[in-house]
Amino acid sequence: MLWILLAVAGASRTAADDQVAIEQMARGNQSALGELYDRHGRLIYSLALRVLRDQGDAEDVVQDVFLQAWREAARFDLTRGNVVAWLVMVTRSRSIDRLRRRQARPQLAAKSEPDGRVDESPRVDVQMEWQSRAAEVRRALETLPLLQRVAVELAFFEGLTHAEIAEQLEVPLGTVKTRVRQGLLKMRDCLAGAL
Amino acid sequence: MTDAEHDVLRDASGLYVLGTLEDAERAEFETHLTSCDACLAEVRSLRGVSDALPFAATQVDPPASLRARILAAAGAPTVSGVPTASAAPHAQTVVPFAPKPKPAVSNATLTEQRAPHSRAFWVGWMSAAAMLLVAAGAGIYAANLKLQLEDVELRLVDAVMKLQASEMQVANASAEVTAVRTNLALLSAPDVQDLQLLGKAPAAEATGRAFISRRRGLLFAASNLPQLPGDRTYQLWFLTRGAPVSAGIVKPDPQGNVTAAFDPLPDAPVPTGFAVSVEPDGGVPAPTGAIYLVTQ
Repeated sequence: MLWILLAVAGASRTAADDQVAIEQMARGNQSALGELYDRHGRLIYSLALRVLRDQGDAEDVVQDVFLQAWREAARFDLTRGNVVAWLVMVTRSRSIDRLRRRQARPQLAAKSEPDGRVDESPRVDVQMEWQSRAAEVRRALETLPLLQRVAVELAFFEGLTHAEIAEQLEVPLGTVKTRVRQGLLKMRDCLAGAL
Repeated sequence: MTDAEHDVLRDASGLYVLGTLEDAERAEFETHLTSCDACLAEVRSLRGVSDALPFAATQVDPPASLRARILAAAGAPTVSGVPTASAAPHAQTVVPFAPKPKPAVSNATLTEQRAPHSRAFWVGWMSAAAMLLVAAGAGIYAANLKLQLEDVELRLVDAVMKLQASEMQVANASAEVTAVRTNLALLSAPDVQDLQLLGKAPAAEATGRAFISRRRGLLFAASNLPQLPGDRTYQLWFLTRGAPVSAGIVKPDPQGNVTAAFDPLPDAPVPTGFAVSVEPDGGVPAPTGAIYLVTQ
């Protein structure tokens, strides 16, 4: 489906650029890593920050993810999939792991305070692409009935298991399944309609 | 597999795509995917949604230092070493690694241009940097507020759902209170009749009581009633000068105890007695079976 490419990797140009970057990274080209980071660092950081709600932890995860991409670039199977989906998958799984480790500790890590470091703004066209895509996805999520939306968010951003979601929402396991599936289907249709 | 069975399996597609299924269930669903094109197509299309979900997070610029940190770390020689093509049997495109640039080189490119500058030049840059710092601080502050807001929203949803649950408990409790009040009103009605019921063979051990008020209804309680086969039920009867009038059917618990309340039957004749008989499931218009309990 075309919209998936559009929604996830932006224009196919971005996906192609990513593949080139991975090939160059595999050859040890560090500036290709910089380009990949410039294209997706914000999304990856935002995802990690949303899951972990701590700037320091989010920065560590982003660093680990991009370094993993750097180390494994030669092994990345370009025929199999798009790079950003891989970055998202690894970021989510590392963030959730870290969140669980943090929750297992008796004292919660304090939220980092803003340290006032100067941000380096990305290119304007990249920014606009992000903004419109982010707005579209957020709109799609907001069209969901409240309980579907919460179930999807608990699963995706909070990393809760099936049973934990059921417990938190005080609904049967089967209801969680149905709700998450219906939510994702509705978002799919909503995103497809927006393009 | 029936359609209903398939629908139950298919329901797992959302949690599967979000990677939230328990291991056993995931394995079961994956087995199903090998033989069901419809579910496979659904999973593929939902994968697009889960890949797009990170965009639903508030988009925040990472600190600029992070990029430099990552590039510096990528340039540094790692203890674990760089995987080679031979260590990667799955590689479709085998690209041998060229030697990585030394960290000193990359650091130099990141921090080059250290030529001396005039005082005015530095003052200008420093004030620009200060403004950027303020702007960045405000941006981060706004992003933090947004995160806190999302947190509050989630808590609110949680609170609303707990409230709904509490309301249901209150509604149940109030229904029980109403039932108790009705029973009390019946027991204290001026016209209440208190009838003792005695068991008859094969239910000789059974005992019961019926409180009957023409205006408030019937309260029936019995114990030691024998278990009945599935196609039989206990039916209650008002005995009258004419034909018995059905008062309702009851199902004792496994210990043979039962308590039940029934609304008044305004048109029924004045009862002269009360009986409980065993009848076909669902009840009958006139008694046909054995009488297990009856007034003295």
